[in-house]
Amino acid sequence: MALLERDPAPSTPDERPDTHSVIVRARLLRRSRAILVTSCLAAVAFVLFVGTMMIGSFSVNPWQVVTATFGFPETPGIDYVVRDLRLPTASTALAVGLAMGLSGIIFQRLLANPLASPDFVGVSSGASFFAVGSIVVLNLQGQWVALAALLGALTAALLVYLLAWRDGITGYRFILIGIGVSQFFLAGTGWVLSRADVYNAREAMTWLVGSVGQAGDTELTVLLWSLAIVLPVVLLMSRQLATLELGDDTAKALGVRVELMRITLLLTGVVLIALATATAGPMAFVALIAGPIASRLVGAGSSALVAAAFVGASIVLLADLVAAHALPAQLPTGVVTGAIGAPYLIWLLVSVNREGRGG
Amino acid sequence: MTDLQTPPPSVGAPESRRHVLQARELTLGYAGADIVHGLDLTVPVGEVTVIVGANGCGKSTLLRGLARLLKPRAGSVELDGRPLSQWASADIARVLGLLPQNPVAPDGITVADLVGRGRYPHQGWFRRWSAEDDAAVEIALAATSTTELADRTLAELSGGQRQRVWVAMVLAQDTDLVLLDEPTTFLDISHQVDLLDLLDELNQVHGKTVVMVLHDLNLACRYAQHIVAMKSGHIVAQGSPTEVITPEVVLDVFGLPSRVVPDPVTGTPLVVPLGRQRS
Repeated sequence: MALLERDPAPSTPDERPDTHSVIVRARLLRRSRAILVTSCLAAVAFVLFVGTMMIGSFSVNPWQVVTATFGFPETPGIDYVVRDLRLPTASTALAVGLAMGLSGIIFQRLLANPLASPDFVGVSSGASFFAVGSIVVLNLQGQWVALAALLGALTAALLVYLLAWRDGITGYRFILIGIGVSQFFLAGTGWVLSRADVYNAREAMTWLVGSVGQAGDTELTVLLWSLAIVLPVVLLMSRQLATLELGDDTAKALGVRVELMRITLLLTGVVLIALATATAGPMAFVALIAGPIASRLVGAGSSALVAAAFVGASIVLLADLVAAHALPAQLPTGVVTGAIGAPYLIWLLVSVNREGRGG
Repeated sequence: MTDLQTPPPSVGAPESRRHVLQARELTLGYAGADIVHGLDLTVPVGEVTVIVGANGCGKSTLLRGLARLLKPRAGSVELDGRPLSQWASADIARVLGLLPQNPVAPDGITVADLVGRGRYPHQGWFRRWSAEDDAAVEIALAATSTTELADRTLAELSGGQRQRVWVAMVLAQDTDLVLLDEPTTFLDISHQVDLLDLLDELNQVHGKTVVMVLHDLNLACRYAQHIVAMKSGHIVAQGSPTEVITPEVVLDVFGLPSRVVPDPVTGTPLVVPLGRQRS
């Protein structure tokens, strides 16, 4: 270490001999809190995952759910209820929640703004516009709608990125342009809907609200595989993300290849939200609220990426439980997440303004 | 603190750590016109260099160019005789550190955590936090007298403390060259002197080569061994403060009539501006 090599002199051994251990302990404490909280969140998500498969017109006990889910033999009746009826919905909710939570926090961290979730910067509305267009204009169904949604999300993200580019990307500019692009696609969606016949319009509206029950097998499989690929990549890049949070100049000075890393991270975020939206529709607010909740639980400064994924999963699973069972009438999941998310957004705007921070 | 008393076996000879930073016919600019024009500069090794000049003369641009935040439009910046473009970014980051003008920190980050992020270039995809990183953070905190603040969040600190913490982050990066873009801008006079004393100490005691942009000419004269005076993208004069800071240069660079007298404390040049009414 250069400091040490050149400078044996200024060290003052008499001052606080335990500084070292104090600093190390604080760091370990921070880390163990992050690990503990993340594990707890994973446990919550798992309990909810099992829970959704227990409840219904035919109750199944948790042990039976777990054994049936992981392919151990159960009675054919339980096998059928769990594996064929409930598992697809539950795993969709889990996967969609993981993807949305992760995508949301990547955007928020990268653009240094709690408002910068993909629902706000046009990605979700791009997906919606293309999906609705494919349903109404092209009469497509199933995975073709999902493919259209994916294309729409990528188009919107690319559009925002190109428009916001000016010697680099700044959070504010990206968000403002994102909101503009978002409005553009929303208007487009409205226009397409207004010209649709009743049957198509109804189908499009169902898609637009978002529901984990609507997922097809293909979309779910694609989403699960992408999660399996993207999650380790994002974990490897969490160090770069932590450095990018210090601003482009500092990140560059620390040796991060800023543009490359930002594009890669944004792209993973876009792909995640696009696939999730393609699978279950634009589930309102999940991506917005998962990140801040996770950051607060894990503690500032720690990488809350995985925690946010589990928070997202828990939100969607819980919303699905509420939507399917707790209310007199069965509702689409997106209605419930919207009902939770809207008050949070208002609170966020109010508190951000009060503190005079950007937002 | 056994680390401090028994330095580890040195990595390479001390001389090899003395890195030479040079600009050759360097032209820099942002979206529009060029701001720095074909500029040559060799940063004196082991000294404190201060770049001075009027607003918009290109001094911050030059610093950003030297730190590879800005790609040269023409010419090059060379580190140890090799253009920066041929270096791997992480290798540069182990030799050259920069404190930008407006560094940003994520909400709620603690001091120790922020300083720890300066260790980035010393870690790898799979080689994460090590004992060496802990030691570097600890030394950086001690050198900037911010050890007591280690657990506080950045938002709680005063402007002066915050700037020391940022310097600590650059120190944790453990580079031979330290570049700072107007590090004293938002500080009051006592914190300015405080920070400059700290940087002086880093140079004198730790042997770091410091390059910074400063607005205050008198403080620049006091702390610099080498002054670079810039005007519209060119170097007007460079050398020791006594050589460079003369009424003629001050008039040329700032358009300000002045008298230059010896600083009563240090003997370095002290610029006394002549206003229109009171001269």
